[in-house]
Amino acid sequence: MKHDLQKPPASSFERIEIDSSHAERISKPSLSFWQDAWLRIRKNKAAIVSMFILAFIIIMAFVGPMISPHDSETQTITHANLPPKVPGIEKLGIMNGVGTLAGKEVDLYEMKKVDTYYWFGTDGLGRDMFSRVWEGTQISLFIAFVAALIDMVIGVAYGGISGYYGGRVDDIMQRIVEILYGIPTLVIVILMLSFMDPGITAIIIAITITGWIGMSRIVRGQVLKFKNQEFVLASRTLGATDSRIITKHILPNILGIIIINTMFTIPTAIFFEAFLSFIGLGLQPPDASLGTLINDGYKLIKFQPHILLYPSIIISLLMIAFNLLGDGLRDALDPKMKD
Amino acid sequence: MAEKLLEIKNLKQYFNQGKPNEVRAVDDISFDIYKGETLGLVGESGCGKSTTGRTIIRLYEATDGQVIYDGINVHDKKSKKDLKSFNRKMQMIFQDPYASLNPRMKVLDIIAEGLDIHGLVKNPKERKERVVELLETVGLNREHADRYAHEFSGGQRQRLGIARALAVNPEFIIADEPISALDVVSIQAQVVNLLKELQEEKGLTYLFIAHDLSMVKYISDRIGVMYFGKLVELASAEDLYKNPMHPYTQSLLSAIPLPDPNYERTRVRKSYDPASHNYQDGEEIAMREVTPGHFVYCSTKELATLQAISGSQV
Amino acid sequence: MEKILEVKNLELSFHTFAGEVKAIRGVNFDLKKGETLAIVGESGSGKSVTTKAIMRLLPESSSEFKNGQILFNGKDLTKLSDKEMQKIRGKDISMIFQDPMTSLNPTMTIGNQIMEPILKHQKIGKAEARKVAIDLLRLVGMPKPEARIKQYPHQFSGGQRQRIVIAIALACNPQILIADEPTTALDVTIQAQILELMKDLQKKIDTSIIFITHDLGVVANVADRVAVMYGGKIVEIGTVDEIFYNPQHPYTWGLLSSMPSLDSADEKLYAIPGTPPDLLYPPKGDAFALRSDYALKIDLEEAPPFFKVSDTHSAATWLLHPDAPQVEPPLAIVERMKKFPGSRYYEGTEGGTY
Repeated sequence: MKHDLQKPPASSFERIEIDSSHAERISKPSLSFWQDAWLRIRKNKAAIVSMFILAFIIIMAFVGPMISPHDSETQTITHANLPPKVPGIEKLGIMNGVGTLAGKEVDLYEMKKVDTYYWFGTDGLGRDMFSRVWEGTQISLFIAFVAALIDMVIGVAYGGISGYYGGRVDDIMQRIVEILYGIPTLVIVILMLSFMDPGITAIIIAITITGWIGMSRIVRGQVLKFKNQEFVLASRTLGATDSRIITKHILPNILGIIIINTMFTIPTAIFFEAFLSFIGLGLQPPDASLGTLINDGYKLIKFQPHILLYPSIIISLLMIAFNLLGDGLRDALDPKMKD
Repeated sequence: MAEKLLEIKNLKQYFNQGKPNEVRAVDDISFDIYKGETLGLVGESGCGKSTTGRTIIRLYEATDGQVIYDGINVHDKKSKKDLKSFNRKMQMIFQDPYASLNPRMKVLDIIAEGLDIHGLVKNPKERKERVVELLETVGLNREHADRYAHEFSGGQRQRLGIARALAVNPEFIIADEPISALDVVSIQAQVVNLLKELQEEKGLTYLFIAHDLSMVKYISDRIGVMYFGKLVELASAEDLYKNPMHPYTQSLLSAIPLPDPNYERTRVRKSYDPASHNYQDGEEIAMREVTPGHFVYCSTKELATLQAISGSQV
Repeated sequence: MEKILEVKNLELSFHTFAGEVKAIRGVNFDLKKGETLAIVGESGSGKSVTTKAIMRLLPESSSEFKNGQILFNGKDLTKLSDKEMQKIRGKDISMIFQDPMTSLNPTMTIGNQIMEPILKHQKIGKAEARKVAIDLLRLVGMPKPEARIKQYPHQFSGGQRQRIVIAIALACNPQILIADEPTTALDVTIQAQILELMKDLQKKIDTSIIFITHDLGVVANVADRVAVMYGGKIVEIGTVDEIFYNPQHPYTWGLLSSMPSLDSADEKLYAIPGTPPDLLYPPKGDAFALRSDYALKIDLEEAPPFFKVSDTHSAATWLLHPDAPQVEPPLAIVERMKKFPGSRYYEGTEGGTY
């Protein structure tokens, strides 16, 4: 216990009045939940990088086909099976139009007397891969977003009703879900596609037919948790209607989790679409998605590896970026779930 | 005493009724609450005191029994309009200051919720003014209106909860353990003082539910003690503490630690064993008035003994 | 008495994304063998953080020892490696937490949970450890310990679970037992039983206890000495009688006078206005000044040092400075001081030589 050695002046020992309202002041800046989440996610480098990658891919999916000098559907048989050639980079010894022909490395562009550049090469029908890849990305993203949106709408509505009204309604709705969940998805999809025309609509239906179940379960759990929270009870004692409680109290609180879950649904949908296309249940030519492009490329992997390479890179980037962003969002929006 | 505001008659709240896991949270209790008084309800966790409060305000449908408010049974089927006016008369303050305020709403919207539901204000300006007025009533001010609940301390949050309840000008407030989640007595004292001031100003009636017996004694006019869904003793606050009659009340009182080391060194704790009553089969046990205004849950035999004891003390 | 633990000038900060939170701002105290030291304060005062720092239970990624030492039998705990610390944790120093529901593992029998630290820290076989576990359960007042040792936590009531937690903490005869609000989650009657048990055990096994609580009634019941914490600092420390009957710091005054007494008349409770300081932006000077009715000019400029009241009692308030004006404490405090020989309000009949 030390004693103060330097003596403070006696005048400093005067009694003072403290304004007690001062003590109620909050010095922290006011932050809403979303501002707070943004501060958190900004610290997450992986999520930010992913966001940029996704933005780039999405922009390219629309801009890509336009900036390419070649159309995606024009078949120029004489330009078939050309490897990639990009101006500028060609001097570095890669993407210079050199491919293997009968075991020998030759400049295929010179051989076929082609004087334009195909940035990602061409396929067996002489179509520009650059345009085709980005258009395929566009379709894949479209399918994934629409499927995720439908999953979200059905899942939130179903789970919300089941959880909020509870009791017998909940019992019946949950038994239905269990039955649906019990049937293997692939069986449903194959049966469905056997009497529907394959195409974008069919694939979206195939993805969403059981896809919403996960969302509905999460939403139901959250609603069950929140509907007995004291702030909801307080609202009920004030005489709030069900719709007010749902829109003002429950939805804003589970929005974070809905967003997180949707973020994970998108890559799953992309992958499922690619999977369906790969096993031949997906889009039919001439439409192309990342899945069909990969399917085409995979057959030629030994001779024309570039046809497989680019769609594979993009689908991998999409999967990784969406998952990392989803993880980042989860940490930011739901700090308690972080383990 | 003043007129009855609320009569609770044979109220029962059973969960999972008829199933093997039936819980009799509130088991046939009756009491009255008079206008302008504070009735304290104490008991240990799981004794049904919070369930009683929530059933009175209709958060739960009662299994049986009546809650008569100003002569009207609130558990009868009623029109939406009647329900709304009932909601304005009776309000509740909740236990957990962290869970009782919506984390996604600004204080302004939290407090104005009652105003919005009942259409008590006409325009946003009036709404804001009314909220600021309420904030000032509970010792906060204008600059707090635009903040989110998580920025406040526990005591401040609890005062926000009070402001929300006051927004609809209620007559009767059920305070469900409003101080037990506040960790320091000085903060508890802020809330208790505020509730007392408001009662004097606005003539409010309280049902104050708590397990902290010393604060309950301080704020209540009368106190009821609950044990496993039953009301076991009901008396004026003074009488209950000076002269506890039910053995459970005695054990509860003997367990309260006081901030007085000398007293603590000599404290003798009594324990309660429900088997000690030795009730015979067919013996009717009910709330019986031992001395005026002092009710104990007992058999007729016990009543005679209790009356003999209290008679000899006078 | 022998000092078993010395905390010297401890400063500790948390790094949050909002900035540095100075949770402990220079804490000094020591713990003597066989005594119970109660640390009182509101949430955010740093009382829990202090003990978690002693146990080194704070997340290393976000917390930082800025300064100071924690000396346990001459070893500085802040400097030990994780491995060395693990040997001390649970053996020499053990801890009881607030919530008996979450501090037990629901998938393990309580017997195995009690045996775990014994097997880890002592070189004895399983059969013998089982015997020790049964003895421990008997010690904490559990009926039929031989049968109950095979049961799971959910088969016990809250009070019984806290007894089991205490048995686990005592398994290796620790020299220090840290109890972090061990009775807050319990009902009063159960609380009284657990407090009696802890006092009883302390006599039997002669361990030192650091008891963290916000309930002054509990403090009066268990403590030998009391440290009052506010805003990351100790503001007053002394024996239990000194703190309850001769308090010197305005914060202690505020705490004690906001308790209603069971036989008091209906006067208004004293409530400390406002809220505790935000340690993200610690105030200059005395952290309590902004809420105090007894603030001096100097409180806003310079933090008060400790002034000695007696050999065992000191308080950090400028009011004890020789130049400070004589102030009248709140009425409830004057009432308390009347009982304490040595205070200026003492009204005792015997003695009176002070």
